[in-house]
Amino acid sequence: MSDAQSNFGKPAPWLELSVDHRFGRERSSFHLAAEFSLHAERTLLFGPSGSGKSSLLRVIAGLLTPDAGRVVLRGDVVFSRTAKQRPQRNIPAHHRRIGFVAQNPALFPDRSVAENVAYSLGRTARAAASARVADLLALTGASSVARQMPRELSGGQKQRVAIARALAASPCALLLDEPFSALDAAARRELAANVDAWARQRGIPVLTVSHNLEDAFAGCEEVVVIREGRVVAQGEPRATLHAERDLLLDALR
Amino acid sequence: MDVAALWLTLRLALVTTAVLLAISVPLACWLAFGRSRLRTPVQAVCALPIVLPPTVLGFYLLVALGPQTSLGRAITHWLGHPLAFSFSGLVVGSVIYSLPFALQPLVAGLGAVDHSLLDAAATLGSGPVMRIVRVALPLSRSSLIAASVLAFAHTVGEFGVVLMIGGNLPGTTRTLSIALYDQVQDFNYAQANRTALVLLAVCFTALIALYSRRSRGELV
Repeated sequence: MSDAQSNFGKPAPWLELSVDHRFGRERSSFHLAAEFSLHAERTLLFGPSGSGKSSLLRVIAGLLTPDAGRVVLRGDVVFSRTAKQRPQRNIPAHHRRIGFVAQNPALFPDRSVAENVAYSLGRTARAAASARVADLLALTGASSVARQMPRELSGGQKQRVAIARALAASPCALLLDEPFSALDAAARRELAANVDAWARQRGIPVLTVSHNLEDAFAGCEEVVVIREGRVVAQGEPRATLHAERDLLLDALR
Repeated sequence: MDVAALWLTLRLALVTTAVLLAISVPLACWLAFGRSRLRTPVQAVCALPIVLPPTVLGFYLLVALGPQTSLGRAITHWLGHPLAFSFSGLVVGSVIYSLPFALQPLVAGLGAVDHSLLDAAATLGSGPVMRIVRVALPLSRSSLIAASVLAFAHTVGEFGVVLMIGGNLPGTTRTLSIALYDQVQDFNYAQANRTALVLLAVCFTALIALYSRRSRGELV
């Protein structure tokens, strides 16, 4: 798609991604070769497990350097590499300002919940930092565990804290990888709505990976369907997922 | 009881431990997190003192630091005296001799830090150095303690390197283990018994300190 076409009548994409990466060697290798642009503020990345969704998020966040590809984030080229060469450009993860919540909440085990959320607030004045931590823990429903250590938390509580910690760093985009998988339906709806409102208020785009179909119809404006490392469909959630219902049936099986 | 030898031994062990920590923390970070192909040969070289007879190491050091080599001459010129048969020479020998005992626990501890925590720290704005300082090292606290205790105890107990490079000058290079050797040579078994007991007590206390932390579950 040329730039003129993609920009016609639409805002500029917040993310342009093309990735070519081979995991492992020769026969057993998995080939990730995906390309898409995102305009919608809320996008769902959907596909069966092992299709490369998490790897795509890691490429965007700067945690995985692909063999070749290009990542343009809000108009800035943060990664660019031609096959078999050194990257022409590779902004390291800690300079990309991407809020990333991985499947594994990865809370720092030696820090309390509040200290985990405050991790990125090192230079903020103490009073302002603790107010920010309190706000974010309230937003994610984790205020009651603020003084506890990560090992004392349930899976769902850890996910709430991981989200609060990612938001505290004032990201310019949010990548959520199965962020609510350990929560029940009611809790995930409430938390998703809170995070959504927080991000909308600040104009922060969100890309979510989920198996849960409910997420596709709750707030997401666009869905990207990926299978075996390739993008197989992209568009408005209901129509796209309807067209891909065979895949969905596979995923539900 | 040779108080001068005891004091010298403790001073040597403390200085050696401090120098070793300053060297092995950055080196262990490089070995645990780096991607260079040089890591394997460097790790092998650093482990050599475990298998090499201490006298071999001491002999090479004696030659390398002596007036026969340009390095030795440069050091002599710089310090005003040769490194061999001096306290600083003992420190250099002890640092090399005990390096693997400080390095191995650190490499193991840092290597065991969950990479997803380092990834999380990166997306939260921490660069490579801050990820080590704020995440990897605090989680490797018990490895730091193990490295210090082992380096200290191993230096207290060394004999061959010290004898080769330091000789046996009372108050300067005569450590407890060498004093013990002299006492036995003189058939002074009562003295030797007391010296041996002090060495045993120092090393045993160090290991008790190490293992009691471990059994309290502080090795996270």
